[in-house]
Amino acid sequence: MDLPFEVILGGWIATGLTLFILSFLYEDNPLFKLAEHLYVGVSLGYTIVKTYDTVVMTLILRPILDKGEWSLLIPVCIGALMLTRYVPKAAWLSRYAFAFIVGVGAGLAIPRTISSFILKQIEDTVRPLLAITPDGGVTFTYSLLDPASHLNGIIILVGVVSVLFYFFFSVEHAGPGKMIARAGIVFLMISFGAAFGYTVMARMSLLIGRLTDLIEFSDASYGRPTLWLFLLTVATLIVLTRRGSTHPPKQ
Amino acid sequence: MSFAERMLRIDRRIIFLVIGLCTLLPLLYPVGLPIRISSEVRGVYDYIDTLPEGSVFLLSLDFDPASKPELYPQAISILRHAFRKNLRVIAMTLWVSGTGLADQIVSQTALEAGKENGKDYVFLGWSPGGSAVILNMGQDLYNAFPADYGNKPTKSLPVLAGVQNLRDVTYAVSLGAGNPGVEAWYVFGKDKYKFELGGGCTGVMAPGLYPLLRSGQINGLIGGLRGAAEYETLIDQKGKAVAGMDAQSTTHMAIIVLVAICNMFYFTMRRQLRRQGQIGS
Repeated sequence: MDLPFEVILGGWIATGLTLFILSFLYEDNPLFKLAEHLYVGVSLGYTIVKTYDTVVMTLILRPILDKGEWSLLIPVCIGALMLTRYVPKAAWLSRYAFAFIVGVGAGLAIPRTISSFILKQIEDTVRPLLAITPDGGVTFTYSLLDPASHLNGIIILVGVVSVLFYFFFSVEHAGPGKMIARAGIVFLMISFGAAFGYTVMARMSLLIGRLTDLIEFSDASYGRPTLWLFLLTVATLIVLTRRGSTHPPKQ
Repeated sequence: MSFAERMLRIDRRIIFLVIGLCTLLPLLYPVGLPIRISSEVRGVYDYIDTLPEGSVFLLSLDFDPASKPELYPQAISILRHAFRKNLRVIAMTLWVSGTGLADQIVSQTALEAGKENGKDYVFLGWSPGGSAVILNMGQDLYNAFPADYGNKPTKSLPVLAGVQNLRDVTYAVSLGAGNPGVEAWYVFGKDKYKFELGGGCTGVMAPGLYPLLRSGQINGLIGGLRGAAEYETLIDQKGKAVAGMDAQSTTHMAIIVLVAICNMFYFTMRRQLRRQGQIGS
């Protein structure tokens, strides 16, 4: 099946830029710099165009011109005050815009964040350590795999208390306090380990993503860009190394 | 120089090569290691699976191409599932740099499922304001998005019939690579407008979102490529994520082995130096 020209071209560009970026693993070189600068430029250009189209055209000009929604000029004027930062004598006007943004932002975010992250999390941390059955007996669930088990509830309680104690510096961590603080460190280390493990997984996923695309673009229907551009990248690196024209990254 | 010392000073490019080969070979020659379905991924799947036909499902694709390898397979799988269940899909993004990618994902999956734009699904595109867009949608969806990505007025779209704001959404899933993402959808969306919420995220973000899962603030979480592979297995439509799982397992094993070997060499060298009296006990 013949692929459209733009798909093939996209495949060649994606392959080339991927290989140029990966060439940094060998050493810093102009191919990497080219791809890096293209990435920054293209993503910024894309953001500017999309923002202009959505904000200025769709949300401001069209409603004003087509529907006569002149009230939109109020937020436009507040936003325009930001631009007075470029005129030193009128820069004070931008404070009104900042005050508006900070005030609205804080007003919206603070109560919602307290409710969602502090109150809800405290509510979840303070759980019953035992359950009372309808016949008046007491049950205790031991499963470590069940997040709602009573054993996990105790582990979370110990973890929260010991970590909070570790960050409580008004009391010397000695005697029993030292033991609690040490337990806090253990919980913190486990948490950092889990986070780092997930980070490694995420980074490997990105590598898998790029390699999957390189394999896809090695197909004859694309003209085998992976093969040709790999050879080109390797040849360029050899030439650059021999000429001694590669430089270490500037500090 | 001892062997342990030589190994600890090995050129880092050799390690890059080993990791590269451990990733590439399983991609070229997959063995199909089993994939166990976790309860957090099943939470999202089960909820979508039990939704009645015609329910309003909102998918917020809050990522850009930098997170494509992890979140693209998640988005494709969830959309395939939603279209298979004949849900009314409202897709959008809070990330301006992800607009084109999100449009491609939605259009491609809809075309594959034979769904019609405006009738079965809509892609609203991006609107400025980050988290404030969620609040705006909670008050009036048509105010936040007067037109869809193709500039059609949203009020005239059949897929949005009976939908005025976020309270009319049956289920929402945010696939987030940062902020605004899953947390913003909880704080400014679910907590205020009381709809059910699920999440998908990159592997880096997953540990930070588990507290929300445990407390029931989100009803499921798809974490990274692994989560995407689980979802692909659940909908029985294997794709890029399942294909990458062998490579993921192999690279993890390689990293564990490298960490163990490095520690072994480190302690060997330390013992040698201690014997020579160069470092104290």
